[in-house]
Amino acid sequence: MTLLILQAIASGVVTGCVYALIALSLVIVYKSTDVINFAGGEIVMIGGYAGMLALLYLGLPYILIFAFAAIATFALGALFDRIVLHKVLGRAVPGQSILVAMVIATVGLSYVLKGGVRVVPYTEEVRRLPPFFTGEPIFIGPVVVQRQDIAIIVVAVVVMAALWAFFSLTLTGKALRATSQNPRAAALVGIPVRRMRMTVWGIASALAAIAGVLLAPKLLMTPDMGVIVILAFAAAIIGGFASLPGCIIGGILLGVIQNIVGLYVGSNAISVAPFAVIMLILALRPQGLLGGRVAAKKV
Amino acid sequence: MLELSGISASYGAIRALENVSLSVAAGRIVCLLGANGAGKTTTLNCISGVVPLTAGRIRFEGEDITGWPIDRIVARGIVQVPEGREIFPELTVADNLLLGTWLRRRKGGAARDFERIYNYFPRLRERARQPAGTLSGGEQQMLMIGRALMAQPKLLLLDEPSLGLSPLLVQQLFGIIARVHADGVPILLVEQNAAVALAASHHAYIIENGEIRLDGPARDLEQNEEVKAAYLGA
Ligand SMILES: Nc1ncnc2c1ncn2[C@@H]1O[C@H](COP(=O)(O)OP(=O)(O)OP(=O)(O)O)[C@@H](O)[C@H]1O
Ligand SMILES: [Mg+2]
Repeated sequence: MTLLILQAIASGVVTGCVYALIALSLVIVYKSTDVINFAGGEIVMIGGYAGMLALLYLGLPYILIFAFAAIATFALGALFDRIVLHKVLGRAVPGQSILVAMVIATVGLSYVLKGGVRVVPYTEEVRRLPPFFTGEPIFIGPVVVQRQDIAIIVVAVVVMAALWAFFSLTLTGKALRATSQNPRAAALVGIPVRRMRMTVWGIASALAAIAGVLLAPKLLMTPDMGVIVILAFAAAIIGGFASLPGCIIGGILLGVIQNIVGLYVGSNAISVAPFAVIMLILALRPQGLLGGRVAAKKV
Repeated sequence: MLELSGISASYGAIRALENVSLSVAAGRIVCLLGANGAGKTTTLNCISGVVPLTAGRIRFEGEDITGWPIDRIVARGIVQVPEGREIFPELTVADNLLLGTWLRRRKGGAARDFERIYNYFPRLRERARQPAGTLSGGEQQMLMIGRALMAQPKLLLLDEPSLGLSPLLVQQLFGIIARVHADGVPILLVEQNAAVALAASHHAYIIENGEIRLDGPARDLEQNEEVKAAYLGA
């Protein structure tokens, strides 16, 4: 029994790392623009398909597939901000919230992306990317881990470390944080606030796309695979929807919870678990597991 | 070096500035005094390119900068220290200062500027590694001025630096402002604290309901009966 639990935990950590990446994507957009991105899941899906395109038609090696998907979705996210959200912002009427309009715009984007992918002929067939690695699974003590799963963890950790380094060590990263903490003051030191917002959308989309490429060999790819975003919402909410380490802990915790629920309650209950987690956290600890208090948003 | 000629600005239907003309000569401290809502912050925001003009021109060192975007104006050398506590609370004090160098980040030389700022404000050196949100109100005001100086301004715009500070701190702060000026930075100072501002300035303007009511050498305005009654509480 303990072996089963350990096994469930190990595979929960793997999927949890992917949820964490998507949660990071949602939270960095939210922190710097106050917008909840309901197209996050569709950007994951686009990332997966971009990876597939790169593999099938360009025959790129995996490392370049990640780069291809990340760059393509970076452009997608940045352009969406530039073309749609800037327009919405420009229409702002003083004293009236434009947030609702911006969030609705992301819902619109999700449908456009889903619909757009459906009309591409090669998405009719349900597919799956080949694994990054094949070969004998590895034993960690008694626990069996696929080489593929180790690769997922390695990619996720590298991406998270790069994100941390970017936000805490580079001047551009600090300028992005400054913009999200106080856009007015940022503008007054000459930081181009609009370009910063575009950059955040680009980075967030690239994160989602990397998650998409990581998922593509594990899941069946369909234009609807974006529904996975609900797991990322749950992960982000566990972390209080504000903290980047909280997203990582939340994602991993959620992956493990899902597997434990599957083990003890049954596989039908797995899909209910994230909703139960969201409601429990919101009811009992809305600031998330790490957050100290419910922070009032400043504008 | 800075010259506003006949500028007007409005927020929707509300007219905030009407035909304001004002100039800051090189090497000077000029203050703009007025009651709440008179249009002081709006004037600074027009200069910084935050609020668009509906009429008038702004010239800086002979160049017409009307309608320029904020970052271009900062790069040109006009840096504003806004009203209130406009810091980056979760970044460290040092990082707040570092971001002041954003527009000249490729040129380097930030280390020398840090040294200079820490000389003006030794307290900021002690607090360098601390999140800026944990600073006291007075320290945050100093941090904002330090951040603006990191941009190596040719003209500094200060919006009510004395706001919410104790009289002792106000005195200290104006001592530092005088040093910054003596080191070669002209200043346009917005204040409600007329006594302190007039004492620190060469020239003063008085703004009421978005229009300049009066201007003249600060020494003269200190003696002006109208000013005494309305702003100096005499
Ligand atoms: N964003 C805004 N939207 C609408 N009206 C505004 C806005 N900002 C300022 N105003 C109005 O414009 C006028 C001038 O405001 P401003 O902020 O320039 O005054 P101030 O002299 O700086 O006052 P204080 O000393 O209180 O800071 C006021 O009537 C104010 O209500
Ligand atoms: Mg003001």
